[in-house]
Amino acid sequence: MTTTATAATTAAPPRSGLVRPVTFGRVLRSEWVKLRTLRSSLWAALLTVVVMVGLALMMASLLNTARGEPEMQQGMAQDEGLQAIGLTGTTAVVFGYSFAQLVVAVLGALTMTSEHSTGMIRATFAAVPRRLPVLAAKLLVVAGVTAVLVVVALAIAYLATMPILDAAGLEVDWSDGTQVRALAGCVLYLVTIGVLAVGVGALLRHTAGTIFTLVAALFVLPLVFSIVTSVSDAAWAEWVNKLLPSVAGERVISTGTTPDTLLEPSTGYAVLAGYTVVVLVAAVVAVRRRDA
Amino acid sequence: MIEATGLTKRFGPTTAVDQVTFTVRPGIVTGFLGPNGAGKSTTMRMVMGLDRPTAGTVTVNGRPYAEHRAPLAEVGALLEARAVHPGRSARQHLLALAATHGIPARRVDEVIELTGLQSVARKRVGGFSLGMGQRLGIATALLGDPRTLILDEPVNGLDPEGVLWVRNLARYLAGEGRTVFLSSHLMSEVALTADHVIVIGKGRILADTPVQELVDGASRRTVRVRTPGAGALAAAVRRAGGTAVEHPADHGPDGADHGADDGRAAGLLEVSGLDAAVIGELALTHGLALHELTPVRSTLEDAYMELTADAVEYRTEGAPR
Repeated sequence: MTTTATAATTAAPPRSGLVRPVTFGRVLRSEWVKLRTLRSSLWAALLTVVVMVGLALMMASLLNTARGEPEMQQGMAQDEGLQAIGLTGTTAVVFGYSFAQLVVAVLGALTMTSEHSTGMIRATFAAVPRRLPVLAAKLLVVAGVTAVLVVVALAIAYLATMPILDAAGLEVDWSDGTQVRALAGCVLYLVTIGVLAVGVGALLRHTAGTIFTLVAALFVLPLVFSIVTSVSDAAWAEWVNKLLPSVAGERVISTGTTPDTLLEPSTGYAVLAGYTVVVLVAAVVAVRRRDA
Repeated sequence: MIEATGLTKRFGPTTAVDQVTFTVRPGIVTGFLGPNGAGKSTTMRMVMGLDRPTAGTVTVNGRPYAEHRAPLAEVGALLEARAVHPGRSARQHLLALAATHGIPARRVDEVIELTGLQSVARKRVGGFSLGMGQRLGIATALLGDPRTLILDEPVNGLDPEGVLWVRNLARYLAGEGRTVFLSSHLMSEVALTADHVIVIGKGRILADTPVQELVDGASRRTVRVRTPGAGALAAAVRRAGGTAVEHPADHGPDGADHGADDGRAAGLLEVSGLDAAVIGELALTHGLALHELTPVRSTLEDAYMELTADAVEYRTEGAPR
């Protein structure tokens, strides 16, 4: 006991210069430390790259195989969905985004919900009682990390699929504005999904509820509406379908032609961005007002 | 210095904290005492800006907590439940929080050492015992070298050595001129640690007083007398202006058996209004033998129970007091 008391004597007297004011840069650093010290983040990072590279290789092989099979090529040419996505080399390189978005969504959601479920949020808000810098820093960290991961994954996918795509005569064409837009759009889309997930997490707070909501909005509803629109010609169903966040947003990754049933790439992304802004505004209000 | 004015928190129809006004001064340990559910934690969370008051204001060192530029230098808090992600190590947890205030890693290692967590600092918090978690909470509170410490039930889950350590630490920090605000539902703990006590029950302040005064004010002094001539002594006591309550022989008010050693039945009296010396002299005057003459001071727990008797959220009916 006396030893501890002595330790207190040497450690406790107030000193100036030890503690500095809270700045946004410091909050950002804190959130970066938080993200990189969790195993779940490392797994998410690894999974994003693996999924994107793996699916790119798969799609590239498929396109290469199709080249030698006229029947298959004809089938692909007649498939409206594939035409809307596009059948270029870029399509293969970015192909993994549809699964990667799930990983990115979980990563984004967890940065908020894991703090609420563990009680860490109280320590966080005690350190930064203004709260909004915390939300902003989380958004920036998730956006930055996602952007870097997706760029790295696309670079690896590009290099890995190059021999296959070359053989298929489908090499990525850097002079084609559409393909470049699709590559950049892939980064933009996944970053937006990550940001959206942080916002939903801030609103709902619960991990399971947040991930359920995101999976429902990004995966399940498009699936349901693809069935609905295929069996009925109801205009409303078509409209709902094209305005779904992932259906609209992923238009920006397309190198194909836009059918009537879908939005133009820039319009589609704007719709997703709009949803994201709405969610973030609600999240700002919730984070400011609710008891931690 | 913590100043709360008319602080109120309602959760739906329940009023958790009701118009609470108090001041916690620097340089002393102020205990915040009340039964479970009395509103201690909610009040502390409002001080920290974690809960938004329904009404009223609370300031720390002159300002609302959120308006300080370096909040961790103003208040270090240990809040009841664990506020740590189990997937990080203790050191990583502290480093992440330290980063918000540009606190250097050496300070993190300092508080780790101060709280005796060196051996587990790099282990994941998920595997920590309740006591280690509590120590990490205290390390977190000390991180910013704060002028005010808010410790919600700091001794929960600590072993006796840890309890003593917290007690010494709280007193030491107050001795340095800091404000120490410490909650507990145990009167004995507060009495041993605090100089001043604020008692809260059902969201209202029941007492705001030096610990000693609470004890003195609420205590009744009685003298327990055991004598074979209980009836005669009781009469003598009453004639002398005291009051005497006779308990059946061999059974004290606590229900225990107190049979006289020599086999003779000794009656038990509880006398108030006269002190032990006067009673002894009375017995001598009347030629009565005394087997026992004990001044009884009501305990701290009694004082506390008396204060909070009407303010207990969950009561065990007919529990032995």
